[in-house]
Amino acid sequence: MHLVLVGISHHTAPLALRERIGISRSMVPAVLDRLAGEGCDDAVLLSTCNRTEVYASTTDARRTGECVVQCLTEYRGVDRQSLDAALYVRTDADAARHLFRVAAGLDSLVVGEPEILGQVKDAYKTASDARGTGALINRLFHGAFAIGKRVRSETGLAEGAVSLSYAALTLARKIFGDLSTRHVVVFGAGEMARLCAIHFHGHVASTTIATRRTDRGDALAVEIGGGVTPWASRMDALLDADILVSATGATDVVVELAAMRRVLSARRGRPMFVIDLAVPRDVDPEVAKLEEAFLYNIDDLRGIVDENLAKRQDAVTRAEALVNDEVAAWLAWLRARAVVPTVVALRSRFERVRQAELDRLTPKLTGLGPEARARVDEITRLMVEKLLLTPTEQLKAIDDRETMASCSAALRRLFALDDDGPVSPTDAAAATPKPPRTPGEES
Amino acid sequence: MPLALLYLLAFSAYVWHFATRHPLIGRAATATLLGAVLVHTFQLGMYTMELGLPPMAGSAGAISTFVWMLAVAYLSIEVTTEERAIGVFVTPLLAVLQALVSRGTMPTDIPAYFAGPFVALHVGALLFAYASFALACVIGITYMLLFRELKTRTPGVFFQRLPSLQVLDQMNMRAVTIGWVLLTIGLAGGALWLRDAGVQSANDPRVPMMTATDPKILLAALTWAIYGLQLAFRRWASLTPRRAAWLSTLGFIVVLLNFLPVAYFFARSHNFA
Repeated sequence: MHLVLVGISHHTAPLALRERIGISRSMVPAVLDRLAGEGCDDAVLLSTCNRTEVYASTTDARRTGECVVQCLTEYRGVDRQSLDAALYVRTDADAARHLFRVAAGLDSLVVGEPEILGQVKDAYKTASDARGTGALINRLFHGAFAIGKRVRSETGLAEGAVSLSYAALTLARKIFGDLSTRHVVVFGAGEMARLCAIHFHGHVASTTIATRRTDRGDALAVEIGGGVTPWASRMDALLDADILVSATGATDVVVELAAMRRVLSARRGRPMFVIDLAVPRDVDPEVAKLEEAFLYNIDDLRGIVDENLAKRQDAVTRAEALVNDEVAAWLAWLRARAVVPTVVALRSRFERVRQAELDRLTPKLTGLGPEARARVDEITRLMVEKLLLTPTEQLKAIDDRETMASCSAALRRLFALDDDGPVSPTDAAAATPKPPRTPGEES
Repeated sequence: MPLALLYLLAFSAYVWHFATRHPLIGRAATATLLGAVLVHTFQLGMYTMELGLPPMAGSAGAISTFVWMLAVAYLSIEVTTEERAIGVFVTPLLAVLQALVSRGTMPTDIPAYFAGPFVALHVGALLFAYASFALACVIGITYMLLFRELKTRTPGVFFQRLPSLQVLDQMNMRAVTIGWVLLTIGLAGGALWLRDAGVQSANDPRVPMMTATDPKILLAALTWAIYGLQLAFRRWASLTPRRAAWLSTLGFIVVLLNFLPVAYFFARSHNFA
């Protein structure tokens, strides 16, 4: 059994192509049905704004890869040539490594971003609910969830803000904790003010816009669902505010030290977070000296973002090592699966010998009661189990594919396993305790 | 000493957690501290069964009870806030103070002056008050460390590890409020005991010394005033959270002065050890 990955991502495809090939969550089951119709019935489709990828388990990697590409092009009506240029196809260890890197956030546009792990989980759940997933896919995705969680908790890859707005929000949370009762005042209604207002508005109780351009102020207030205050009374609006975002196009200072001192004095010691995103600066730098004011300008925020990006780079090396470990563990599991038919046949062979011996001895055991006969049956079964335990473990532990194949062949020859005829379902169940195709099965 | 080692082990676990922030290590740190507190509870419980009262008489007994109360107060805050970062600052205090206890002698009987009902209330309430103030001091220091990073616009290790200024301020004020209420109860208990002591312990030479001029009583009153003013100014005046954090630290310095050097060298009225 092989693992195949076919996909496009922000690394290989422009936004226009990603938009065209992207598949919304509600459409995923239909696409999976279509793939199944083409012979690829054990697959997970991961589609986000930055990637569309299909992970499938198959016995014929080439054919399945082609089937997935065909399905995507036909389903989304995308020209094959433009898709081919952006497409990547990976198999087995490479495909597993790719998924683990994706789940860990190592392949994201913003390295370490936390949302992708949830999206991977959603994709797996959708596939599992829609058509069920096999043991290989189950083991692969559970490995991806584990590595995603481990990388975040052990390397700090997701720590620190990596955008100006998020850095400002993180700082605000570090000052005020829960922001849901806090009030934001925004000076200005330009693009910078708008982005920051939108970013904050989802987390705070209210947002008030103050700008000289009332038309733009009104438009921004409508867009984010906030209020508007006249520019002349902007300092009064600060009396009840906790966060001030100033991003006007003014060439002179719009928040003077004396005015801010008066505001803070009237607020009876309550702290205020002042974010000055304007160039030239809107807020008198001396405001930073006031005890209750936490003043950050655009360079301060950029410095934090740069530092966090640098820290993430350090964490990437450690995260990659963890991913390698997980890939090795997954490969070991996959290799162990390759010997399952041999193990099944071996167990079947031993079981048949045991049963034959018991049958042969039946006349001699007639003097025994049912309890004693059951005990004899149990003892012989346990002996067979114990005899087979070590060779089974040793066989599964072989990490070289060729050695494993030759050992497997030797076993088959020594015990004439290929002459035993078909393996009974009971024996197969005894040798492979987990059924191969169960929705949401843990492997 | 083994108890001090247990607290030291908890400190190591909290340091490890502070450095790595691994959830499992955090839980291990809490479990270690909880283990130390349980052993400590058992030890104090055995003393209580033997003496009939908690072993609060004498320096070793008082400090050991104080350590236990501080650990319980910290654990209660940790459990309610799910915040473990403060542990790295509290546990060394526990380890050092408990190590001091091992150098002293735990009480073997109940002194005569402990017989009255108000003495246990006086000592117990004051010890718990001081434990709360110790916690407030630690939280106040962490507040100032984080405040400094935020104010100087250089977010670093405390920015990454500590809860928000708002949470630290709330924790600080909660600890101070509880401590101040208990301090008031403890001082009132002492005053009531003193009223009875004039009759019951008329021959005790320490009783006449129990006046406002006694250094230990003076510092206790000063402590009460500092924390009382902190609460009042915070509520009715515009005392900033940072100044409140400073006052928590200052108040506990006075407590430490009262608890250790003054109690040992200057107190004329409270030299019971």
